[in-house]
Amino acid sequence: MAEKPQPVHVLYCGVCGLPAEYCEFGPDFEKCKPWLIHNAPQLYPDLVQVSNSKEVDGVSDQLQSSSITDGTGPSGSSSVPKQEPVKRLPGGKIKKKERQEVIIEKVTRNKRKSITTIKGLELFGIKLSDASKKLGKKFATGASVVKGPTEKDQIDVQGDIAYDIVEFITDTWPDVPETAIYFIEDGKKVPAA
Amino acid sequence: MFKKFTSEDVSGQNQVKASVQRKIRQSIADEYPGLELVLDDLLPKKSPLIVAKCQNHLNLVVVNNVPLFFNIRDGPYMPTLRLLHQYPNIMKKLQVDRGAIKFVLAGANIMCPGLTSPGGVLDDEVGAERPVAIMAEGKQHALAIGFTKMSAKDIKAINKGIGVDNMHYLNDGLWKMQRLD
Repeated sequence: MAEKPQPVHVLYCGVCGLPAEYCEFGPDFEKCKPWLIHNAPQLYPDLVQVSNSKEVDGVSDQLQSSSITDGTGPSGSSSVPKQEPVKRLPGGKIKKKERQEVIIEKVTRNKRKSITTIKGLELFGIKLSDASKKLGKKFATGASVVKGPTEKDQIDVQGDIAYDIVEFITDTWPDVPETAIYFIEDGKKVPAA
Repeated sequence: MFKKFTSEDVSGQNQVKASVQRKIRQSIADEYPGLELVLDDLLPKKSPLIVAKCQNHLNLVVVNNVPLFFNIRDGPYMPTLRLLHQYPNIMKKLQVDRGAIKFVLAGANIMCPGLTSPGGVLDDEVGAERPVAIMAEGKQHALAIGFTKMSAKDIKAINKGIGVDNMHYLNDGLWKMQRLD
């Protein structure tokens, strides 16, 4: 048997996962830079020169600052939405009533099918069983009241109805302002209005 | 094509029968003669070969949960970039100039001028509708897998419009899917 061609080992960036030479075109070159200086200095001689001219402290500063921005970036953004659930959940019932809002979430089931869950309607004094009946009638699908994860009831409606549920809610129950309706998209709360 | 591609898009995967397995091996061996010697390592005869069907008539050939090849309908099998990086010489290569890299990595098809400009390299032997590796000016590794729309000669002669369809590029959905479970 002839000799086998050996697999080439490609250096992939530890930060963005691209081959190191493509980091400069990657999603976040800045974040890759410290890694590149460390692991692939020959690919980006410019970078190394810059860091060398800043001396060792400069590099460590750069590393630190990048890690700090790393740390503050997500935590800063998450702390804002985090505060709200913190207020709502352990705060007890009193605080719950203070924050009246309806949360609509689409859950995908069996890949192509989805369920829209609606939480928080009861905070506006709406009977959930009535609401689910109305929703089922309006969208001609199954709608049921389900015990939610945290002992809170929610309405599950079959199918993806997020597109016009907002209008329906505000039309049927005038006490629910549009500003109190939120969607959950990719784990983030997005106001519907 | 794989711009938005997640494991959710895989509608079903099943272990194929031995005859289909043989056929896949054969067509891969025909398409990539340079791979023949390592084909036994890549697609061990013993271990099960799984074909994952995805949307848009797309098939992925998966071995040990790692996607290795893909094809559309009955088209030729194309290696994933991770595989191509390991065996870079199995495919015909076309090279684009530096200015095109950004766009190709965003999923754009490869336009003729990017291949004919000073930074680009064309292999005259490449015909139309062939899988090719897209290299880049000043880079060692491939950045995309393409499917030629016209032959290399036409690309030179016409020098306008899409020359190569971008099938699979760095950091697209398939690239990010290192393992398929």
